Amino acid sequence: MTPGRRENPAHPEPAPGHPLGPLTPPPPPSAPPRAPSEPGPAPWQRITVGVAGMEFEARPPSQYAFDFPDSECEGWSTDALTLRFASVRGAKHRYYRQPRQDAARAAVHEATDSIVFAVADGVSSASESHQGAVEACRAAVERILHLLDRTSGPLDPADVAAHAAERLRQLAQWRLGITEPGPAEVARLYATTLVAGAVRPTAQGLGIELFRIGDSGAWILDRAEGRYRPLFGSKTGTDALLVTNEVSPLPLIPDRLETATGRLEAPWTLLVGTDGFGDPLGEGDGRVGAHFARHLGTPPPPLWLGHVLDFTRETFDDDRTLLALWPRNEARPR
Amino acid sequence: MAETKGVLLPAYVVADESGSMAPYQSELGGGVASLCEGLRAEPMIAAKLRLAVLGFSDDVQVRLAVADMRTETTVPRLEIRGMTNYRAVFDDLLQRIPSDVQWLRGEGYKVHRPVVFFLSDGLPTDGSAWHGPHAALTDRGRTPAAPNIIACGIGDAQAQTMVEVATRPEFAFIAKSGADVGRAISEFFHSLTASLVASGHALNSSNPQLVVNRPDQFTMAIDEVGL
Repeated sequence: MTPGRRENPAHPEPAPGHPLGPLTPPPPPSAPPRAPSEPGPAPWQRITVGVAGMEFEARPPSQYAFDFPDSECEGWSTDALTLRFASVRGAKHRYYRQPRQDAARAAVHEATDSIVFAVADGVSSASESHQGAVEACRAAVERILHLLDRTSGPLDPADVAAHAAERLRQLAQWRLGITEPGPAEVARLYATTLVAGAVRPTAQGLGIELFRIGDSGAWILDRAEGRYRPLFGSKTGTDALLVTNEVSPLPLIPDRLETATGRLEAPWTLLVGTDGFGDPLGEGDGRVGAHFARHLGTPPPPLWLGHVLDFTRETFDDDRTLLALWPRNEARPR
Repeated sequence: MAETKGVLLPAYVVADESGSMAPYQSELGGGVASLCEGLRAEPMIAAKLRLAVLGFSDDVQVRLAVADMRTETTVPRLEIRGMTNYRAVFDDLLQRIPSDVQWLRGEGYKVHRPVVFFLSDGLPTDGSAWHGPHAALTDRGRTPAAPNIIACGIGDAQAQTMVEVATRPEFAFIAKSGADVGRAISEFFHSLTASLVASGHALNSSNPQLVVNRPDQFTMAIDEVGL
């Protein structure tokens, strides 16, 4: 129950039974910039998957969210792996002037040639969740790098999760100017999901270690078959009558963390994403699955991954983040 | 194919059309119109809602079947008639809601738990006969698509009845003593629109929640019951 202030849309009330006027398009949007007149490649057209969502020019986030750009992407390769990630602001946030609340970070652990990564989805009800998502990613990546320096054994996901939660607590401490913010106060500011882990070259091949808090996910894409195998349970079972996607995000740490381990072998790609990617993907056997399978056959240019991820599809208006890792022995980047 | 076309919130407005509402017909009509316009002004939210408007008295009449308000071109019209039969409401919803949920799923959507906004101005004229179907409707074991029910009472409606109709005590509201009934009806629809828009924002997020705004001119019924 959230008794709130009254919000009256204050629109004129036509007499009952009278037809409504035409659907009012969303405010500001001016037309997208025109291509220069001189010959050259055409600008990328938004990719539509199924029925397009509403088209409009993105609006700016609030003034102090300037440090959280609409989109970001990354891409590079080590000897063993090729990494790409992209994170794009969802239509809802572009329309309602909110910053992107998803984040991703990745680094190479130089001593072992491992790739360390984190993906986070700030909880929209937390007022500074865009900061929470970025800080959780930073803290997780830093801690995994540290753990890899110290041991060649399995990663300790509880240690990484605790480190990320502590970072959020410290942030709340600074923000609120109090010495001991409680979990609820931290959550109100910075609650976020988190998936983090590493892919390590070993004598047996590329080893995957992951854990998650909340409903962000990870999949193995079998590029030969175009199929997706989830590494974590679905938040909504295929047969469930109703959707129940409530999650317990950081700073809460469940007693038993969800973890996943495995090998990354050809012709597979490891995908790690927020629900903005996972929800439209579903089980991967529809148009969205085919869309990504088509574009992830080989590592695309990082900017193209962002474009592919920024597809339009009616009702799917959440931020989207996707991180992908290809074994390098059989896939050469484009 | 398991790919979903989206996740929808089915929302049902169930309005009392009994004879005692006759003086307030224009407020009822205006309220429904403002609800429709409010949702059309938020097409991104409306895309994730499906709205039904039902009028009840001796029976239930469908004024708007589960509709996409972005494309709906007429405003449903409520008609004053008959008594205040609550059993008819819950018998109807017990059939209608599971059927609608299955239909939406068959159309390729996933579905959030439905929500019912119930507005009544009087005591049920069928005594306690409605308790059985209401219990069946709201029991998630017996009815997996059991809705959340927000109950708002105006006029002669009693706080205790609204608490019994609502699925949570904090979802039950009663018009303040002495409140103008017509204005309370308008506030009900304003609050309903705001609640749907706010809930629509929260859908598909990591923290989906039904947001219920207390209408102006109303108090929480549980507070009245406790007095």
